[in-house]
Amino acid sequence: MEFHKLPPVKDQIMKCVRCGKCRSVCPVFAEIRNETAAPRGHVFMVQMLRDGKVEPNNDVNERLSNCLMCENCSVNCPSGIDIHELNAAARSYIYDKNPSLSKELIFDSLWTRPGLLKASSKFMWGAQKSGLQSLARHLGLTSILPGDLSKAEKILASVPRQSARSFLPEYNPARGEKKYRIAYFLGCGTDLLNPQVARATVDVLTHYGCEVIIPRDMKCCGLPHIANGKMDTARKLAVHNIKIFNNGDYDYIVTDCASCSSALSSKNMEFLLGGLKIEDEAIAFSQKVMDLTQFLMEKLELKLPGKEVDDRIKVTYHDPCHLANAQGIKKAPRELLKQIPEVEYIEMGEANRCCGGSGTYSLTHYDLSMRILDKKMDSAMETAAAVIATCCPSCMMQLRHGVQRHKWNATVMHPVELLSQSLKQTPAKK
Amino acid sequence: MDKDKIKKALIEMLGKEKVLSEELDLMYYSYDSSFLTKLEPSSPLAVVFPRSTEEVQNIASFAFENNVDIVPRGAGTGETGGCIAIKGGIVLDLSTWDEIVEIDAPNMQVIVRPGVIHAQLNKELSKYNLFFPPDPGSSQMCTIGGMVANNASGLRAVKYGCTEQYILGLEVVLPNGEVITTGGVKAKCIKNVSGLNLTKLMVGSEGILGIVTRIRLRCWPRPKARGIAMAVFDELDDAPAAVLDVYQAGILPSGIEILDRSAIDAVNQFKPEINLPQAEAILLFEVDGNPPSVEYEGSLIKEVVGKRARSIEWATEPKRMAELWEGRSITATAAARVRADASRVFAGEDISVPLARVADTLRAIRALGDKYGIKVVNYGHIGDGNVHTAPVINPENPEEVKKVMEMVHEIHLLAIAMEGSTTGEHGVGAVRRQYAELEHGRAAQLMRDIKRVFDPLGIMNPGKLI
Ligand SMILES: Cc1cc2nc3c(=O)[nH]c(=O)nc-3n(C[C@H](O)[C@H](O)[C@H](O)COP(=O)(O)OP(=O)(O)OC[C@H]3O[C@@H](n4cnc5c(N)ncnc54)[C@H](O)[C@@H]3O)c2cc1C
Ligand code: SF4
Ligand code: SF4
Repeated sequence: MEFHKLPPVKDQIMKCVRCGKCRSVCPVFAEIRNETAAPRGHVFMVQMLRDGKVEPNNDVNERLSNCLMCENCSVNCPSGIDIHELNAAARSYIYDKNPSLSKELIFDSLWTRPGLLKASSKFMWGAQKSGLQSLARHLGLTSILPGDLSKAEKILASVPRQSARSFLPEYNPARGEKKYRIAYFLGCGTDLLNPQVARATVDVLTHYGCEVIIPRDMKCCGLPHIANGKMDTARKLAVHNIKIFNNGDYDYIVTDCASCSSALSSKNMEFLLGGLKIEDEAIAFSQKVMDLTQFLMEKLELKLPGKEVDDRIKVTYHDPCHLANAQGIKKAPRELLKQIPEVEYIEMGEANRCCGGSGTYSLTHYDLSMRILDKKMDSAMETAAAVIATCCPSCMMQLRHGVQRHKWNATVMHPVELLSQSLKQTPAKK
Repeated sequence: MDKDKIKKALIEMLGKEKVLSEELDLMYYSYDSSFLTKLEPSSPLAVVFPRSTEEVQNIASFAFENNVDIVPRGAGTGETGGCIAIKGGIVLDLSTWDEIVEIDAPNMQVIVRPGVIHAQLNKELSKYNLFFPPDPGSSQMCTIGGMVANNASGLRAVKYGCTEQYILGLEVVLPNGEVITTGGVKAKCIKNVSGLNLTKLMVGSEGILGIVTRIRLRCWPRPKARGIAMAVFDELDDAPAAVLDVYQAGILPSGIEILDRSAIDAVNQFKPEINLPQAEAILLFEVDGNPPSVEYEGSLIKEVVGKRARSIEWATEPKRMAELWEGRSITATAAARVRADASRVFAGEDISVPLARVADTLRAIRALGDKYGIKVVNYGHIGDGNVHTAPVINPENPEEVKKVMEMVHEIHLLAIAMEGSTTGEHGVGAVRRQYAELEHGRAAQLMRDIKRVFDPLGIMNPGKLI
């Protein structure tokens, strides 16, 4: 859809009263501290772009890309402006006008073709020996990554040898009495970087009577594309996924990845596909999408039998922005963790402060991302927890890097891994 | 002086990382929270980020020698275009200079640099059981420097007054680069009547006399308890009358807020679950202090106000207090959302009238809304007669903009006719300057003369206040 006709561009820009509330909650602004990085600055620049007062060029793009897409501004804006959507729409517009600003290879080819992505992750794994520089050159990553790739390399340091898809079957029968037929939306980050989370998800869901199908032909949720100004590609991916999942007669579409569930949410579908013919199908699809922890707590009404555990592990929780801000899901993951008998839950200060990862942001803006991460680590380390739990592969990657960077003896896990481990120790009876 | 030369000199002086000079970057400094700068944004020549008195002095000296305008800026939350270089010039963004230099708890004071955020300061002071009482709605974003320059206040001005009451002394860089200290060069005392009171002159001077680089603030002990009463009125006139009754009963609440019919409708429309009672006006009284005195004053308010109000509820339990207060806390937001294809605008938003004329003023504003066919939401700090008016229009429709500007002008004239002022707390800036003579008569000229003493070249934030 044309930039000027997109609902946030058409209807919301004029509602900005420049009150500055968004300045006070933006993690990027807190570091850069000038108006060019303030959310209201982004709204202003998108307005200038809309009104033709600035050219849709890389200079504008660079300023707008000082954003983690964490949505903290949008949830706090008194005028109800979806600031992050405006930003994404503007960057996409700039991209459309400047094909030469291409991130073509990585975003158009890689993420849209699971086979290629899988191959490249293997390559990435191999590249830990050869160095990221040469890998990046092969993948065309050099066009988006900063010069000093040796720094960013550390974040990507531990790509597992096997992807989840390579060992999880497409069909996973329910154990015991079948309650629901579930499509598992296995996101790229879980698949490639955290296959152990995917295994835990399937184990837990089947354990609680879900038949779990992992459609082989699903594609990326499209969030990396939106965040990097590739809305058209994101739209194509959404349409593809909607078709596949709507054909499958599933009760729910569950994902353990906060970014995926936010990308597949009705809010985001409306942003991407609002006003298009496919809108109704998109709504039917997104109504079935659920975050895993929310599904476990609300649909399966999970209740673990209490038991005496001598050495409980201290666990703290980090709110992924795409879960807490984009979807308002804060309670379910905490309740889940508190139910696990082996877990001693400790809340960290400012748990919903962004970790600075945000998909590719930590790669494209390494130094700034580290400043944001360090603040997160300060709060996390204060808890002296042994495990930082979180529900997003991008946060997991970033937090793991934080743990290393601060030489802290802690592990980063998805809550479902802890649940799965607990179930293995004591088979739960419902 | 040539633009490029200015940029080059500033970069040489401060280093590249403390200067913005690309056209695109400068555009981001063309606005604050005012409606004026939404209509007429104006980019500066350069933006600098000084972080020491010496750097500010160097910038001012350079500006003085080269006759270039300089404009101080905090967080840019002002409603008047005050921090905008409306004639070009160098903007000094002081928001990154945010050290709390010293919390001197035994002397009940704190020294800060101008960029400290109000909420941040109170967070730190709370560790010492102290607070800085003025509480603007922009607490999370505005700077103490901006508050000093605008003499800001807020909900609790009824009892605690404005920023000026708390400023013990200032360090100020004058437009020629000289630096002065007001309130005593070495003084750490609270009471001080020696000399002309330059501190008071600087507070509220909106950056037209100099740049505030250091602020010595008086702090107060934090009250231990709070209570809130919500009273509902069928007659508009009963609301200000009830406020007077409370004062005459010997009570000085920490806040007294009004929502008139328009604001009640706006809140209910935006969040039906709040379900405020249909009425001509709702008053919220906040009382703070020690627990027994809060209870006593609460029961007295209930008794006195109950005689005029249709209903009144008193609460000290935090959850219920939050519920009672919620309507007020979302009014500004709700006003912005009463019309789907529109927005509230910050214009004519801050008039102040004598308490006895609040009801007449509200009626007159309603009539103006009808005359211009503009939806207007009214709320504000009735305890001191400060009415916030929120016209709701499509700011991108030139017809509506033209109409609202005419209406706003009438609102400002109305305030003066009601023996009030065009601004109770937001300030004059570039938007209310035209009323100087009407409001101050002969004194307006003297104000200009005073400015000339400080700023003979007229380079210090020109086009504002006077
Ligand atoms: C949502 C919202 C709610 C608000 N609520 C209130 C309220 O309840 N009460 C109230 O009083 N105001 C309120 N305001 C207005 C505004 O927040 C205050 O006037 C605030 O004090 C401005 O601070 P700032 O840091 O944003 O200053 P800016 O807007 O950046 O600047 C304001 C003025 O101060 C000058 N200035 C800034 N720093 C210095 C300095 N160091 N030395 C000299 N001059 C300087 C500037 O030149 C300018 O003239 C509100 C604004 C918004 C957007
Ligand atoms: S919070 Fe919303 S209305 Fe306020 S400046 Fe930011 S975008 Fe504009
Ligand atoms: S989405 Fe997050 S990083 Fe981006 S402007 Fe908003 S608050 Fe800042």
